[in-house]
Amino acid sequence: MRIIVIGGTGLAEQVADALHRAGDEVTVIDTEPGRESALAKVGLRAIYGDALVSSTLEAAGALKADVLVACTRSDEDNLLISLLAKKRFNVPRVIARVNDPASDELFNQSWGVDALVSPATSLVSMIRPES
Amino acid sequence: MHVVITGCGRTGRALATRLDAEGDEVTVIELDETAQRGLPAGFRGRFVPGNGIHPRVLEAAGIAQAEAFVALTPNDSANIVSARVARDTYRVPHVLARLHDPAHAAVYTELGIATVGSVQTTVNRLIQLLHHRTLEPHQIFGNGETLLVRSRIPDYLAGRRVAEFNVPGEIGVVELSRAGHSSIPEPSAPLQDGDVLSFIVAAVSLGRLRSFLGGKWS
Repeated sequence: MRIIVIGGTGLAEQVADALHRAGDEVTVIDTEPGRESALAKVGLRAIYGDALVSSTLEAAGALKADVLVACTRSDEDNLLISLLAKKRFNVPRVIARVNDPASDELFNQSWGVDALVSPATSLVSMIRPES
Repeated sequence: MHVVITGCGRTGRALATRLDAEGDEVTVIELDETAQRGLPAGFRGRFVPGNGIHPRVLEAAGIAQAEAFVALTPNDSANIVSARVARDTYRVPHVLARLHDPAHAAVYTELGIATVGSVQTTVNRLIQLLHHRTLEPHQIFGNGETLLVRSRIPDYLAGRRVAEFNVPGEIGVVELSRAGHSSIPEPSAPLQDGDVLSFIVAAVSLGRLRSFLGGKWS
């Protein structure tokens, strides 16, 4: 599968690395400059750029991607990246990370989000499945 | 009018203060609780601490009853997200947002959100002041490619005809004010001392229009 992972976080990097090892074709858009070479060293295709500008997503191969993971530290960035990926590039599956559980309810189809990962909410629901 | 503003920096504060002074009901949302101290002493509006992208914070600010929403945080993404939520989820009739990075303009346009671009507005104004000193634009279209300017016709141009100012693709005379009366002049109409003409002009042709007004046609 062709996968784009966006974010300068450890999580973005770990996800990208694991998928790459599993045989997927992974491109990372790093939103923090200077780390592309470290990612390239482990064999990942990495570009640095502003993912809110569609030319960056296009350069990462958004037109042909099967999955896009919006995994930055900013909820608003993740929402907009998801929206661009879905609306402009028609990426079949868009997965977004939620940083602040107060943003949970925003992460839905109206922003192009097919699935969300919200660590705090997931942990709470494991402890209190009813809440 | 109830106006909800996100961002209590210089611009947010100034707008909130002005609206409050003009009798509007203002609520300011700001992440930094200490920013409330920046609001002036007699400010009658409300201050809601929190992130303006979060529905609960917007609701606490009374977004459901707001007639206008203005996103003025330093973060373009937060401004776009909160503006879209205000418009689409809470049906706020007037939604405006500040745009910092002109590279993000396409996202705002795609979502149909009206923006006030700090960089673009400042650059346009500076170019006006530097390049077009004698021609004060009344209206700037697009990114400044086309302008509407008005200029008083000096005595040495009396007798020239409107058509002499028309250059296809560059300059067009669209209006003539004479003795307090405005009209759309015939190309053959002769000009008089004291006439004021409105020109639609391409930014690249401002120099040419300035030459015309200086009496130079070559």
